[in-house]
Amino acid sequence: MPQPLSAKDGAAFRQVVKLYELKQHKKALKTAEQILKKNPNHGDTLAMKALTLNAQGHTDEAFSLAKLALQQDMKSHICWHVYGLLYRSTKQLDEAIKAYKFALRLEPESAQIQRDLAFLQIQMRDYNGYIESRKAILHARPALRQNWTALAVACHLAGDLSAAEHYLKTYEDTLKQPPPRTDMEHSEASLYRNVLIGEMGEVERALAHLKTISRNNLDRTAVMEMRADYLLRLDRKDEAEEAYRALIVRNNEYRLYYEKLEKVLGLDRENPDDHAELAALYTSFLEGNHRLDAARRIPLDFLRGDEFKTAADKYLRRSLAKGVPSLFPNVKALYSDDFKRTTIQSLVEGYTSETQADGEDMPQHTNGDASSKFVQSRLYFLAQHYNYFRSRNLKKATDFISQALEMDPKSPDYHMTKARILKHLGDVEQAAEVMSFARELDTKDRYINTKCAKYQLRNNDCESALKTMSLFTRNESVGGALGDLHDMQCMWYITEDGEANLRMDKLSLALKRFKCIYDIFDVWQEDQFDFHYFSIRKGQIRAYVDMMRWEDQLRSHPFFTRAALPAIKIYVMLHDNPDLSHGHLANGSIKLEGLDAAERKRALKKAKREQERLEKAEAEKREAEKKQTKKTGTGGDGEPKKEDPDPHGFQLLQTPAPLDEAVKFLTPLLEFAPKNITAQNAGFEVFIRRNKPLLAVKCLRAAKSLDPEDPVVHEQLIRFRRSLDSTSASPIPDKVAQVLKSVSQDLLPDSTSLTAFNDAFMAKHASSAPHVRSGLRARGYLDASSKERNEEELLATLDLVDLSLEDTQAGLELLGEWKSSKAVQDEYLAKAKALWPEATSFKRR
Amino acid sequence: MDIRVMKPSDIPHVQQANITNLPENYFCKYYLYHALTWPQLSYVAVDVSRPPKTPYDPPKIVGYVLAKMEEEPSDGIPHGHITSLSVMRTHRRLGLAEKLMRQSQRAMAETYGAKYVSLHVRVSNTAALHLYRDTLGFNMDKIEAKYYADGEDANCMRMELSHLRFEAEEERKGIKDQDEGDEVGSAGKKDDDKKGKKRRVKVGRVLGVGDLVERNESSAKAG
Repeated sequence: MPQPLSAKDGAAFRQVVKLYELKQHKKALKTAEQILKKNPNHGDTLAMKALTLNAQGHTDEAFSLAKLALQQDMKSHICWHVYGLLYRSTKQLDEAIKAYKFALRLEPESAQIQRDLAFLQIQMRDYNGYIESRKAILHARPALRQNWTALAVACHLAGDLSAAEHYLKTYEDTLKQPPPRTDMEHSEASLYRNVLIGEMGEVERALAHLKTISRNNLDRTAVMEMRADYLLRLDRKDEAEEAYRALIVRNNEYRLYYEKLEKVLGLDRENPDDHAELAALYTSFLEGNHRLDAARRIPLDFLRGDEFKTAADKYLRRSLAKGVPSLFPNVKALYSDDFKRTTIQSLVEGYTSETQADGEDMPQHTNGDASSKFVQSRLYFLAQHYNYFRSRNLKKATDFISQALEMDPKSPDYHMTKARILKHLGDVEQAAEVMSFARELDTKDRYINTKCAKYQLRNNDCESALKTMSLFTRNESVGGALGDLHDMQCMWYITEDGEANLRMDKLSLALKRFKCIYDIFDVWQEDQFDFHYFSIRKGQIRAYVDMMRWEDQLRSHPFFTRAALPAIKIYVMLHDNPDLSHGHLANGSIKLEGLDAAERKRALKKAKREQERLEKAEAEKREAEKKQTKKTGTGGDGEPKKEDPDPHGFQLLQTPAPLDEAVKFLTPLLEFAPKNITAQNAGFEVFIRRNKPLLAVKCLRAAKSLDPEDPVVHEQLIRFRRSLDSTSASPIPDKVAQVLKSVSQDLLPDSTSLTAFNDAFMAKHASSAPHVRSGLRARGYLDASSKERNEEELLATLDLVDLSLEDTQAGLELLGEWKSSKAVQDEYLAKAKALWPEATSFKRR
Repeated sequence: MDIRVMKPSDIPHVQQANITNLPENYFCKYYLYHALTWPQLSYVAVDVSRPPKTPYDPPKIVGYVLAKMEEEPSDGIPHGHITSLSVMRTHRRLGLAEKLMRQSQRAMAETYGAKYVSLHVRVSNTAALHLYRDTLGFNMDKIEAKYYADGEDANCMRMELSHLRFEAEEERKGIKDQDEGDEVGSAGKKDDDKKGKKRRVKVGRVLGVGDLVERNESSAKAG
């Protein structure tokens, strides 16, 4: 029970609540203080004060005050509710749920607490708890449609589709007459019900139900798509055909509609006998549709031989004549087929005497403009063609782009392609310069600005990149341009900046960036919270369910993987070599190798001093900036933004438990992207170091089943077997050992000699540099005396045909890992330079 | 290049396309707000020809239109608004922007009874101006001085959607079903407006979505 207050103080308390809700925090605190002066132990007032303090950013103080409030008044639902709100604000949702449940027990009638609890439960995907809460809310206010819909959604998400439909229907049955057709909530709820029927597989009933609601439904596209889908599934061909044709009339650039139409018509792209009919079908869509691309482009996917050649010729000429810059990106997918690739190549190469298009429905140009457009488009296409990895010939690419540039020296697009070619030649420095030149040709275009920054990052020139970006960012936000890029969740930039720092061994900054991506994913997860309430009120249920399903898989996104993998790599490095945690050591300016104990100690001390100096300078700089700007800026979310106390990531780097940190990145990877082999590889590295052999072997097995010939899997397999053979290091329980033995037996039978196994692997993959490196590494583990031989064979990989730049670089890194002599490294480098004379990374060594 | 309605799972790459192409940027929640309030209105152009490298690769977005209904139209007339539209430079001259806009506009008229659609465009952006005025048929409404954060003026443009509303109505008349609602015609239209107002939800300030709307309106301008 709340403690009693005098009438005056009671009114004051209500005022505090009101002021808090109005976000007038200062006034709220002042009023609370007045109440507390007379009633120092008043729990509810203490709780409200805590809540207000928390809103002002004094979280620790708020928590201790909220605890005090509870001590004063354990039976107050307000105190518990506030306690829950505090936990909610610090994202400890489990604890918040517990607190709300206490509050609700004390005040079962409180709609507010019940709702707050429900939102937390669905946020945490506690479906059963959510269903219970939704039932309670419905029970309290059954007249409100959204309460029925919300319960249906709860059942749907929990997988109980028939219960979900039941609740929707129960409400519908109470309607005496159909609501007006402008009632969006009704329109959407009935369509949602139809989705449920469809998902239950009751297609016949779904179609019948759809018929009853289609006329008045506001989402025409959805109704038409669902109807067409049902008709197709029911094999009602004539109606299905009509339905898909009607959809194509509405949107003729959506391949799904065409594919379904083919299916309805019983046409099969894989069957050459159908090709004539298919081609005719697509031609039929072209009439009067000059701007239609899909029906022109799709036949290139299935046509073969001469038919392909004829169609491709027409398509290419038409686009070249129009000067469509996206022609190459639009056809390159065909290149996985060798015939199509060479056909396109010889076609476009052959357009030498053409000066204009003779494609169908193209206006015949006779002026010089049109012909030079064709010539330029052709050159531009060929430059991109020879720059593409499936048809790469960088010399030809360079020639063609030079010719194009001669015709139009101010074309930003041609310069961009030139930069791209340079990048593939390994000349990241010049690539960045050319891209920067392209940018200056069109300073209003952010796309070029973006590419320029990206190329500067590839050139490890983070400073210039940020300067470039700052031409389009809001630089007055806290943290300047970088702060704005964080606020606007500019994932690509943050990730590329992290990768650049990693290449330069600036581990702290690299980690800082990858952690930032991790944090943005937390924000994205949190972003759904408001919609648990908002969407139900708005009545847009299907979109809400879509969002929930996306959020459930959020961290399967490559944005997450791309940041998580290098972060894990850094943490593993830190575990293996804790000295790296001194930022200045890690950036490569001090080397510890080859020093004796005393020198080493001195060097470490120096590194630490240097870092402290840097941190201090940074702090002073921040202080000065603060004084200059005075007012506190706001972040993208409008809340006052706190200064980052660790802008360089030094504290991140100094984590006492790097592997624990690695696991934070690893767990979502393994859960949401288990088919990513690199994630499984990383899992092995982390678990083997954490002395979790069972988990390690689980990753190894998963990776092996994804690709038994993966070079990393091979090497890990050998390391794993060796660690089993020498169990003396860490005695493991008998049971675990037994399981491990049997699993390992599956992966690689005991009878197999590791050396023979490795030799066989190397023989099998002698022409693949990554496999050779993996075999050489493994041989190094197995036979410490093999170093010289391994070095020789690694050098020999430079003679492999079509060795990529990445593989050339990886070989050099491996020599570093082996601590090979300077002579050996120089020999490798000389050969590498001969192979890649333009490559910046070798020039700089 | 496919043109299809935007789904929540498209948002990371729509956001990426936006910050790659345009100076006015928004955080994820603002895209979610569009996708969950007017799910029929935003469209994406997708490069479907790219084979995914991993099973987790999302579709490659090469263009998008982010659209909404004006929540409290000052003129009291329900109308749509284009929040953002862009196509990657590598995929221009394919007519993608036009195709995206046409899909969005029809949905505005069909689903929300929009009478017109409005948008802002930088006075210096002649390419966009050409698209809106000459290709799509927008009219110049007025110039809003210093609309953009860098001080540039905006052209306010608008386009009538009555032809789309008419088409939708004609099409609807052709459909027979058992669920007869209100009369169409003038009575229905009156109701339309009334309901439109009723339907408008006071967004929950406590829950932060209200803040979201205001915040973004300002960040859109300031961007």
